[in-house]
This record gives sequence, C-alpha cells and structure tokens, in this order.
Amino acid sequence: MPPIFTEECISCFKCAEICPCDVLRESDEGPRVAYPDECWHCGACMMDCPTNAIRLDLPLWMRPVTKRLKK
Amino acid sequence: MNIHSTDVLILGGGLAGCMAAINAAEYGVKVTIVEKSHIERSGAAGTGNDHFWHYNPDIHPERGWTIPDMVRDISFEGEYGKTKAGLMDQELLEIVAEGTMEAVNNLERWGIQFKYDKIFPWNLEYDAPEGEKKYRIVPQFQSAWDTLNYDGRDIKKILAEQCNKRGVEIFNRTSATGLMKNNGTIVGATAVNMRTGEFHVFKSKAVVMATGMDQWRLFKPYSGDWFNSQSPPTITGDGEAMAIRAGAEVFVLQAGKTSNAGFQYFRNLCRSSGAATTSYPAGRYVNSEGETMIRHPAVREPLRKHRENVEASIRDGKTPFYLDMTMASEEEIAYAEWSYKNEGLCWVILEIMQDLGLDFREDAFELDLEAAGRLTGGFLALWINTDCETNLKGLYACSPVQFAGEVAAPTAVVLGWRAGEKAAEHASKNSLIEPSSAQINEEQNRVLSPIESKEGHPWQEVNKELNNIMEEYTGYVAGWSPPGNRDEISMQGLQNCVEQLEVLSSRNMKAGDPHELVRCNEVMNLIDVGLMIVKAAMNPDQYEAGNWFIGKIIDNEPVFEKRPIKIKYPPKEEA
Repeated sequence: MPPIFTEECISCFKCAEICPCDVLRESDEGPRVAYPDECWHCGACMMDCPTNAIRLDLPLWMRPVTKRLKK
Repeated sequence: MNIHSTDVLILGGGLAGCMAAINAAEYGVKVTIVEKSHIERSGAAGTGNDHFWHYNPDIHPERGWTIPDMVRDISFEGEYGKTKAGLMDQELLEIVAEGTMEAVNNLERWGIQFKYDKIFPWNLEYDAPEGEKKYRIVPQFQSAWDTLNYDGRDIKKILAEQCNKRGVEIFNRTSATGLMKNNGTIVGATAVNMRTGEFHVFKSKAVVMATGMDQWRLFKPYSGDWFNSQSPPTITGDGEAMAIRAGAEVFVLQAGKTSNAGFQYFRNLCRSSGAATTSYPAGRYVNSEGETMIRHPAVREPLRKHRENVEASIRDGKTPFYLDMTMASEEEIAYAEWSYKNEGLCWVILEIMQDLGLDFREDAFELDLEAAGRLTGGFLALWINTDCETNLKGLYACSPVQFAGEVAAPTAVVLGWRAGEKAAEHASKNSLIEPSSAQINEEQNRVLSPIESKEGHPWQEVNKELNNIMEEYTGYVAGWSPPGNRDEISMQGLQNCVEQLEVLSSRNMKAGDPHELVRCNEVMNLIDVGLMIVKAAMNPDQYEAGNWFIGKIIDNEPVFEKRPIKIKYPPKEEA
C-alpha cells in the first residue's frame, strides 16, 4: 500500500518532488498520499528520502510468494 | 496560457530524452525538456538499471565478434528465436551497437561506475592495461558476452545533473498533450502542468518524441492493478497518440505484443527483470520438486534451449516454478543482491524482503507461469529512419528499434543521443514557425475539457471500459504473431469494437484536479492508440515477416501500408 512516513520525516518533500506517479503532495502534517491507488511501489521515495523515513508496504499481489525448498 | 520558444523541444525526460537533451545542448542550441513526472526518477530507468549491453572495440573483435555478427545474433538468434526475424530494424540496431561504447564512456565520465577493482569468476576474463579497473561483463541477451553489470541505480540523477550543467530548460510535472503543425512541419507542442493545470505552448524548431516504449493501461492489467507494471504505468502511449493525430507514421503490431515474460518475472509479472537477468549468476529456475529446469535463466540460450524441461514439468504437474538461489555461493548471491540494488524496481524487493524476513539464501521465490504465446494485444511505435527522423519534418523520435524490446537501455541511450544531434542540426538550420492560434485554441479546449466540464465520467471508469473493449478485440483476432499464424478474424466483431471505441471517445470525462486531468488525457490517448490497433486488424493487408506494417492518419482515417524491411545481415545459412 502507499508509502508510510515515520517520525524520521523532516518534511523536506523530496519524495513529493520526484514521485514518478505524482502520488504525493505537501501538507502541514508532512507528505500526504493524495492518490493511494496509483502508487507504483517503485521505491523512488524511499531511495531519495534523506532521513530514511519512508517504508513501503507492498500490496498482496506484489509481495513475493516464497517457499523453503531446502531440506 | 504560457507561451515558450525553444530550439529543440524534447517530450519525455527518461533515458532517451535526457541523452537527447545533453547532446543537443552541446550544439549550442536552446533545449527544453517536458516531463510528466520528474527527470531525476522518471521513465523505465527511474529507479535504476543494472545491465547494459555494448560493443567494445577493445574486447569483442579479438574474440571474433564484429558489429554485424552482433546485429545478426540479436536479430535472428536472440532469445525469441526466428520468430523475431524481420521484427528488428538492423540498420538502427547497428547504429545502437556502434554507439554503445561512446555512451558507456560518457556515462562513466559523468560519474557512473562501470569499472571495478574486483571482477568475479563469472565475469568475462579479458586483458586490461596494468593497474586499470575492469568491466563486469556477463552474457545476457546475446550470444556474445557483452552485458555490463554496473552501478546504475542513480543513472537518472546523473543525467539530470548533466542536463542542468548545460542549461537545459526543464519542465517537470508537465505532460505533453499535442503536436502543433504548420504546412506539414511540426512547429512545437502543447502541454499541461499536472499540479497547477496551466496550459503551455512550446514553439520549437525541432521536436524529439521520447515518451517511452509502452502503452500501459490499454489492456487489462495482468494482476488486476494498472499500477503494477514493468515500466511506469504513466507511459500510456501519449507520444504515439500525439504523433498519430499529427499524421505521423507509426509501426503497428496489432495483435501479439506477447508479454515475453513467460517465467522471467515474479508472480503477477512483478518487479521488472528481477527474476531472470538480475539473479545472475546465482539463480536457477526450479519446479515445485526443487528440480532445476534452467540454470542461469538470464542467459539467452538456456531459456530457449531448456523450454522442454519447463514443458515436462508442467505436464508432470510440478508447478508452480521458483527462482532459487539457495544453492549458490555467498559470493554469487552477494553479486545478485548488488544487481538487485541497481536494477529498476528491484532495490525495493531487497527492502521488502528485510521487512518480511525473506532471504535468497533460504527462500525460493514463486515465478509467474505464463503460457507461451499469450496474446496480450497490440503495440505502436513511431516509425523512424536511421537519422531518427519521422515522416514529419521537424519531428524526431527514439523508438525501440522498430519493436525490439530486449534491446532496452542501450537503445534509449544511443538513439536518444542521436535524435538530439539530428534535432539540433535541424534547429540550427531552420527558424521558428508560428503555430496557428486556431490550432492552439482547439487543442486547449480538447485538453482542458475534463476539468472544465461540469459532469462526466471519472477517468478510471472510461479506462476500464476501454480495457473491456480491447479484450473483446483480442478475442476477435484469434491467433498470435508471428504473422501468418493468425486464424480467421471476425470483421464484424472488429467493426463493433471500432464503434464502441468511437462512442467511448465521445464520452465526457470529469477531472477533479489537474492530476486527474492528465489521467483523463492519458485515457484519451489510449483510445486513439486502441482505434489505430483495431483498424489495423481490419485492413486487408496485414503484418507479415519481412515487412513493416505502417499506419498513419490521412483525412481522419488510418491508412496502412506494408514496407519491406531491408535485411542488411541475413542469417548466416542464407547468406
């Protein structure tokens, strides 16, 4: 699901500046996810956040489905 | 309305657009980029690229590879076998191959690391001068060992810096909406700002179309989510639609842009090339019993050669399939993780794996199981000659080598560079031509209508219905490219789709804000692309091997022609 902003966020809004899908906006409470259905989950915001304040929570269909095949 | 004048206008600021801008600026002309997101992270390489094939004059000739060899190899013997015969423009491919070394040298000079102190046993062993660092070369798409693995995560930031250094004028959050024409010459383009809704008019002596090589959201999304795609889901054929409306020639592949993924991708076709190419050398494709079907899935040959292993596993019910790195050495896994860190959409996988407690050393990752030859629909690209010129004077493009998706980043980088040069040369010999105010007003009304209308459908509703119509279309075009395999089609059915598309395009959309306005314009563009594709399928002449199938609008209706492909380097057995 769309980006989650932690307490480390300093409201520099670099994430909103570079988001490839234009999903984020500035607000007085920090970055706001304006278009949650349009997040590509590319991670650009996470990469460029200067304080590592962003986490992505991939929607179920994007999550790896894994198995431990090793005995 | 904001009116601007420039010499070279570049629509799209991805790899191709930025390279075009950097090169054009070297010619002393004024350069402007119009980018719908932000050039630092836009396009298919926005979140990085870890593989870049190249032709190296210091390495390949002594190993018996010439450029013609490489071109021949990519055209006829590449991953997709002879089905691709004739689907690649060899002259353009040759230009790409010839331009890759210069591109790598430029990227390196600008701050991207391609050479390393340490190379690995699975990298090509070659002689470099004493003390010099080496490239990490692996085999990937071609038979020649020519792919560089490199630190490309921030390639767009580096290119953005180079654009800024050269004084390139950049309009981010600005989506190009239409080409302007005067007496058959392209004289600029219009655009709309995605945040403010302001309408822009860019008068220009030359225009480079660099809007990306996909038409996402035209067909139903594989995993039910439009925004789960291998390249940005905002690459919606805007360039092709603008070009079509202006009368440009487009290469049409009307049925069968088969997702070449097969099982190259993770489940639900996620995460770009994370499964196959990026897992080299650690990766194996295993079946549900853990039996290795393909070792080194990234490498061209195994995927094609070991198809029978895959089919046997399917027959025996040993599905699903997995990417398994658990048998690899620590060093091999570390190398694959380094690749993931650099390849677009893959760095995020590493982060998510941390959050979910997953590890390549312990876990096998489910792959997508996609039937070979699944019809996914149609595809368009601006047709260009070897000078990156379209049929419209003043309009250049950096199309993907007339549909050859596997050539990827090098195509964008080299053809973008070339388009920039050609556009700059054209701009230095020509003057600005005024677009007509009637044309500007008509375009402004068309583009802004969703925000100005009191009521209408949300873009998502029209987009979904478009997907439904295009799904109906694929049902009528039974069969699959390559050409000649197409079963009988239903002309009545196709006509029905055309009528539905025309009704759909007449429906008003309502945008609540400038962001939604751009989404509405994307959908309008997709409908134009869809119409071209469906009408192409109704044409008595069809796509066939050895010919380009080109469409363009004349007097409001598309007209199609077959144009013979020149095979400069035929397969060796035929030569």
